[in-house]
Amino acid sequence: MVIVPATTGQMGILPGHVPTIAELKPGLLSVHEGNDVKKYFISSGFAFVHSNSYADILAVEAVPLDRIDPAQVQKGLSEFTQKLNSASSDLDKAEAQIGVDVHSALNSALTG
Amino acid sequence: MFCENSNILYCFTLLLGVNVKKNVIVTISSDKGLCGGINSTSVKISRALHRINAGPDTECKYVILGEKGKAQLIRDSKKDIELIMTELQKNFLNYTQASWRTVGSSRAKVKFEDLLASSKEVSRVSVLADDILKNVEFDALRIVFNKFQSVVSFLPTTATVLSPEIVERESEAGGKIGSLDSYEIEGGETKSEVLQNLAEFQFSCVMFNAVLENACSEQGARMSAMDSSSRNAGDMLDRLTLTYNRTRQASITTELIEIISGASALEG
Repeated sequence: MVIVPATTGQMGILPGHVPTIAELKPGLLSVHEGNDVKKYFISSGFAFVHSNSYADILAVEAVPLDRIDPAQVQKGLSEFTQKLNSASSDLDKAEAQIGVDVHSALNSALTG
Repeated sequence: MFCENSNILYCFTLLLGVNVKKNVIVTISSDKGLCGGINSTSVKISRALHRINAGPDTECKYVILGEKGKAQLIRDSKKDIELIMTELQKNFLNYTQASWRTVGSSRAKVKFEDLLASSKEVSRVSVLADDILKNVEFDALRIVFNKFQSVVSFLPTTATVLSPEIVERESEAGGKIGSLDSYEIEGGETKSEVLQNLAEFQFSCVMFNAVLENACSEQGARMSAMDSSSRNAGDMLDRLTLTYNRTRQASITTELIEIISGASALEG
């Protein structure tokens, strides 16, 4: 089973899932093979579930969780929150918001 | 191309015949020369596609990546060129996003410079895709590049990417990508929003693939071109050395004969 972070929330994919195209937001991807769980952080992308029970996950970047440094995540989060507060134009606000989203997702992925 | 296990939603070559009004041909070529015939084949195919697709009610434009393609296409198709980008391969090719700067719009030469604070030298292909999406109006994009098969063989390929509206139209009408309609769309407010994101993502992925394959083919073509020219030069060197030695020996013999015959004429 695979749990993907779709924009509408965490989505679990088991064999026999209805064919779906799901847009993903930055978050935790976990692959469960029996009792073995592998966790990755993906930076967003798409997940395709095909009718022959194959699922493709296309992510721009996918990092195994143990390679992420929590200190950097905290630093990035505070930096982007600050940028969001001081942002003036819409573009800056959007960029800072994206940074905040990704870092808080990273944070919750690391702790959760 | 590698997902044989999953149902490929749409195979690129199947879409060659799709009927659209605005075609844009993205020709991927190299910046440096001495790489054999790959740039000429790309340009030849682009021109052929242009001739096929240009009609009374359709229009066809070029987006050119790379100096060599620009040099060849600018001679006769100058008015059809929408956007030119060069110096892509000055830095390593990379996919991820970065902020960057564009110089002018259509017919402008756009250089890729990295503005990240870390100043890592990479060329952001997704930025390139973004720029094409923003500046060029298209219904279908035909990306012409050389697919790497082996060091000595490259396959000129066209990858077709449809704009989101056409994807919706074609998937609802059935036909080649009719199976797209059988998928449930999760996320986003409307189906067209997700399809648009998907189309843009697909475009940047296809661009990345095309640019990488072309770069590989360029290196391979350059290797074999340089290898054969070195061998030809070596052969020519051998032949000329033989001729030189023969001529030299002949002139020495002639001198000797003159001297000896002169000496024997004095004696006798």
